[in-house]
Amino acid sequence: MKIVVTVKLVPDPNAVRRIDPATKRLVRAGVETALNPFDEYAIEAALQLKERLGAETTVTIFTMAPESMKESLRKALAMGADDAVMLSDPALEGSDVSVTSYAMAQALKKTGFDLILSGALSDDGNTGGVPGALAEYLGVPGLTNVRKIEEIGDGRIKAQRETDSGYQVVSGPLPALVTVTMAVGEPRYASLKGIMGAKKKTISTLSAADCGIDRLVGSDGAKMEVVSIAAPKAREKARVVEAEDGAAGAQAILDFLRERKLV
Amino acid sequence: MRNVIIFVEHSSGQTRKVTFELAAEARRLADALGGKAHALVAGSGSAALAQQLQNHPLDKIFHTEDPDVDKFLLDPAVDYLEAAAKSIGPAVILVPNTMLGRDIAGRIAARLDAGLASDVTELRVENGRVQCIAPKLQGSTITTCAFKGGDYGVITIRPNAFAAHPQATGAELVPLEKPAGKSYGMMVESDVEEASGEIGLEEAAVVVSGGRGLGGPEPFETLLKPLAEAFGGAVGASRAAADAGWVPYSLQIGQTGKIVSPQLYIAVGISGAIQHKVGMQTSGTIVAINRDGTVPIGECADLLVVGDLFQIIPALTTLVKGAKTAHA
Ligand SMILES: Cc1cc2nc3c(=O)[nH]c(=O)nc-3n(C[C@H](O)[C@H](O)[C@H](O)COP(=O)(O)OP(=O)(O)OC[C@H]3O[C@@H](n4cnc5c(N)ncnc54)[C@H](O)[C@@H]3O)c2cc1C
Ligand SMILES: Nc1ncnc2c1ncn2[C@@H]1O[C@H](COP(=O)(O)O)[C@@H](O)[C@H]1O
Repeated sequence: MKIVVTVKLVPDPNAVRRIDPATKRLVRAGVETALNPFDEYAIEAALQLKERLGAETTVTIFTMAPESMKESLRKALAMGADDAVMLSDPALEGSDVSVTSYAMAQALKKTGFDLILSGALSDDGNTGGVPGALAEYLGVPGLTNVRKIEEIGDGRIKAQRETDSGYQVVSGPLPALVTVTMAVGEPRYASLKGIMGAKKKTISTLSAADCGIDRLVGSDGAKMEVVSIAAPKAREKARVVEAEDGAAGAQAILDFLRERKLV
Repeated sequence: MRNVIIFVEHSSGQTRKVTFELAAEARRLADALGGKAHALVAGSGSAALAQQLQNHPLDKIFHTEDPDVDKFLLDPAVDYLEAAAKSIGPAVILVPNTMLGRDIAGRIAARLDAGLASDVTELRVENGRVQCIAPKLQGSTITTCAFKGGDYGVITIRPNAFAAHPQATGAELVPLEKPAGKSYGMMVESDVEEASGEIGLEEAAVVVSGGRGLGGPEPFETLLKPLAEAFGGAVGASRAAADAGWVPYSLQIGQTGKIVSPQLYIAVGISGAIQHKVGMQTSGTIVAINRDGTVPIGECADLLVVGDLFQIIPALTTLVKGAKTAHA
């Protein structure tokens, strides 16, 4: 089975991030690039499947990102993925959800897949729109928010899908696109052997032309534009109350809520 | 002229509260754009729900009882939304920013080759263009986005960010025909309720959230739940509490959990890591209870009470119950 994990490369979630007021794009200079945290769970789910299904199963990491970020993919390879493919093209800069999903679909048609695993949400854009749009552009069914893959094989998948009040058991045909939640399990750490091995694994790149991308992409093709950016309204400093005991603490809270007409 | 349509999320025969916020916003947008406000409600129970929606300021409510909407994941609902949207021309589509809403939004945007603005907390119409305001980058930047070209597209709306304005305006009910020629992939075999009867975390007006400071699963039941109930609110948690297995992940608030924006958020025994804050910092009023007065949650709280949660919470629950009865 050929599993492809879509991974977004995002500015290090622990770094201070900002948007350039002129270009209205994320300032990437001076900020380390990292795997989108949610996507590490998708990688973990893929590696669990590889262990379960045996050697015939391969795990390919896919990202659409500038080629300069190539080395950020090593971590995924060190965790145990077999190889990686990048869709990199200056023409793709400034793509929005719609264009990103279209371009990714074109590239994934080229690489081929039985199963695509994606994160549910990205850390920088937090739209959560790409997996759904990607499934549509690929014309494959989508199974979202999966916490456990119960059965997979013979061209079918059956999984538990998280809902707001519990879960659903859902089944359907492959190829399909699956997004996972954190409940699939903590992403594994790369072993020393994994880190050494990752250096020799292939990261290939595709250009827009390689994938037959023939419509306007990048900021020209985007359906959305950023009109302006601003700093959030600063909150006033917290009132701090040292509570002598439970009753005093509770009273301080009640008084405050009364003041704000919340009780 | 541009029309507006909202996607109605519902379960167990009830519309989600966010629907009414979408309806009010649809009305306002439609008036500003010179169009009409529509809704789509699909799946079993929709005819009755459509009637209830007539108490909200809409012009037309599309509905279908098609059982396939419940039997198959997403695709049938998207088909109906696509059909309804196409029947009213290039429209602004409002979808709640919930687990289901995000799934629907990406799909419908691709079907219509439209733009997508996500997690929007404010909408404006300027010179006839819709402007979508949303916090990005962990709340550190507020972006204003607009659709290019025809100025139509899909917008996911953060629950609790907009007010509902119930008002019966004689909305017309329009049953929909099944869209032709579709095959559905993912079948729902069973639905298991794990937290039934509790109000949706994203929609609760009050959220009482617990962290590692609670020390185990019991205090969530014995301390936080009674306090949340006294407010008529919901219980949430930090990731530390979910990771420890004290509560299900569905209660987790933050970067890798749910984003909430209640009128009142009470953080109990939560330090306030940035990944937690992004999930709650736009709440109306934030109260934190922590035995450490230097915790980062203090940076976004309105009130930080320094003390022992095990003493404060039971006393607070009693006071809140008393206050409620006094008002009643
Ligand atoms: C990629 C990534 C994603 C993440 N996503 C999320 C997310 O979505 N949501 C999230 O919450 N976290 C998330 N985290 C984790 C986050 O960084 C913190 O580790 C977590 O939020 C800490 O939880 P906590 O505040 O409950 O625990 P702690 O930081 O351990 O805080 C516990 C607090 O309880 C107080 N306390 C203890 N006992 C008492 C008492 N008796 N009375 C009063 N106060 C007491 C302590 O003073 C302390 O401040 C993420 C981390 C990463 C790396
Ligand atoms: N540029 C990209 N390259 C690869 N995968 C992506 C990219 N953008 C989004 N994704 C995938 O889509 C998921 C949701 O991202 P988003 O819709 O941007 O919030 C991520 O977790 C990734 O799996």
